[in-house]
Amino acid sequence: MYDSIISVETLTVELGGNPVLRDLDLTVAPGEIVAVVGSNGSGKSTLLRCLAGLQPVTSGEVRVFGKPPADDAAFWGRVALLGDEPAWYPGLTAREHLELMGAVHAQARMTVDAALELFALQERADAPPLNLSTGQRQRLSLAATLLRPSTLLLLDEPERGLDKDFRADLADLLHEYADEGGTVVMATHDQGLATISRQVAPSGVAA
Amino acid sequence: MTGSSGAGVRTVRAYLRSRGRTPAGVMDRYVSVFCLAMLIAVTGKPLSDVLAGLAVPGEPARMGAGVALLALGLAGFLAAARNAGPVLLPGADASWLLLSPLNRRHVLGRAARLLLGVAVVAGVVLGVGLLAVLGAPDQLVWRVLGALVVGVAAAVGGMALAVLGQASTSWRLWLTGAVAMLLVLAAVAVTGQLRTVLAIAASAPPPALAAAVSGAAVVSGLLVRQAWVSLERIPTRTLVASSTRAGHVAGAAMSLDPGALTWIAEDNHWRARKLPSRRWPSLPAPFALAWQDWRRLARRRGRLVGVTATAALPAVLAQAGGSPTALGVALLGGALAVASISTSGARRDADNPALARLIGVSRRKALAARAVLPGLLAGAWTALAFTGLAVGGAMAGLADAGGVAGGFGGAWWLFGPLAAPALAAAALRMAGRAPVDHSMPVIDTPGGAIPTGPLFWAATGPDLALLGCLPTAVALVSQPTDLAPFLMAQGVVSVVVLAGFVWRSRSGGKVR
Repeated sequence: MYDSIISVETLTVELGGNPVLRDLDLTVAPGEIVAVVGSNGSGKSTLLRCLAGLQPVTSGEVRVFGKPPADDAAFWGRVALLGDEPAWYPGLTAREHLELMGAVHAQARMTVDAALELFALQERADAPPLNLSTGQRQRLSLAATLLRPSTLLLLDEPERGLDKDFRADLADLLHEYADEGGTVVMATHDQGLATISRQVAPSGVAA
Repeated sequence: MTGSSGAGVRTVRAYLRSRGRTPAGVMDRYVSVFCLAMLIAVTGKPLSDVLAGLAVPGEPARMGAGVALLALGLAGFLAAARNAGPVLLPGADASWLLLSPLNRRHVLGRAARLLLGVAVVAGVVLGVGLLAVLGAPDQLVWRVLGALVVGVAAAVGGMALAVLGQASTSWRLWLTGAVAMLLVLAAVAVTGQLRTVLAIAASAPPPALAAAVSGAAVVSGLLVRQAWVSLERIPTRTLVASSTRAGHVAGAAMSLDPGALTWIAEDNHWRARKLPSRRWPSLPAPFALAWQDWRRLARRRGRLVGVTATAALPAVLAQAGGSPTALGVALLGGALAVASISTSGARRDADNPALARLIGVSRRKALAARAVLPGLLAGAWTALAFTGLAVGGAMAGLADAGGVAGGFGGAWWLFGPLAAPALAAAALRMAGRAPVDHSMPVIDTPGGAIPTGPLFWAATGPDLALLGCLPTAVALVSQPTDLAPFLMAQGVVSVVVLAGFVWRSRSGGKVR
């Protein structure tokens, strides 16, 4: 078993010879909300990719759920990652993407109707995602991410494209997620989201 | 940079070139010209032999089918041009040059010239095809020239019509009408109703030929002129929308990944629609994921009808005199293409696995579930195509032979469902292939350098189709007296290929 959801020890990542992360240590306990903050190029997204097992590390160790992250179905069954906007399936509406997400996960955290209402997408439910605005597509991405069950939420700048009011709503949603026992690690520039979290700044040199 | 003359655009482009790659030097130009000369030297003789081989009267019984194939080819060309734009700009040009005071026609001039080049190449192919169908009983040189001019005029005129269609709705209707007319022409030609007309066209005297060629050239020229003028009137929103989609084009051009180009047409299609959401069926997770392709296909019934209609093409090809090998290529290629239209989910996940990670279904199970629809489509299409060949009389000898030896007379259609699993595996392999690997070696040949990266890319998918359908291919070429062993072998090989493909797939998605 493991005491912490995430355990990072002396993590160093170099991209193209530039050290992006250097000797980073991080431990995240279950139910915690952690905000990775820092200026552009400070390695926030790189750290999240390391936690998701999508970025080879130069040295150090990353353990998620007590073992190195693996890019396989078992891992993604417990971890929900939202980075850049996903590529939407052609021929499906916004609602159907959420329906699909609910259909493949045995115990969804909320119904599709509830997700559409929560993320203010009811009026655009029948639109293909490509016809939504940038902010609406980000809400749809967040709805899909939060509708499915997960233990660990990795979010890369979830506030991207969202208006001020919805950013506040998002903070509440993440709180609820953590109250249910979930763990959140997010890279963010939003002060509101950072305030509700334990803040960590990745050490390293801007790439 | 705010001027509206052509000099303004030239200045901008010269600046961009100066900031980009190193300008071509004398040696670069020499190498280009030398390679071109070598290409002409190497291909000149075989090409002239091919053209000389066409100096025979066409066979009246095959002219109808041949003209039908050419009409379908031209209709497909026009439909593809309409769906792609056809006037597109690279993303950077769309962002920076299109929304500037620069002269619109000069900004779009380069794209227009590229379209003209594409149309000329397509026209030459069309012209050679026309000559092969109608034959050249006399006056070879004039008939070759005439066919080429008619082919180029048709393709260039059609492309001009597509450009005009981008600028105005009424011209778009004309374009739709032209495509519909070509389809009607193909249908009429294949029934043999045009035999007399085609025989007259094939033996037309030089003055009549010259008149027809001149007429085609004049009409085409007028359309091109009109299209050039209309470049200024293409709405910015249309250009920006198509050029945004052309972000895929830019990516495809950079990585030489033609597969990415199909996303343009796909996204274009769905952007223009409001869809009624339907409840997702309650299925096991892998099948719930695979259901996306079923729903997408159900929403494109027109495409489904079109695909069904193409099952008649091998029969038309046989009527036009296609060899068993050509028939085999058409059957396997067609079946693979049909299977590929229902692998959009696998392709999306291969291009960008973010959604697949959120869904969290094992790759192996997802592949197995996603193989059902392409297998069904490919199996049904191949069975229909074989039935068409049998009905058209092309397989009569083969069916009779099979009936004598093994009681499988007319059982060629069984190859369809039996080859389906292998075709599904091949289509999924195509859907999951990585972009072209340009780091692969380049082979120097007397005809020029051959980059192996694009070759391997193009062969990924068709290789599995050929391997998995080998018994069908061998049966088609060798025309056996007894089909039973080939049918059994096809069933076994097909299942083994699909099972092996699914078993070998990695359990996780791609790391990107």
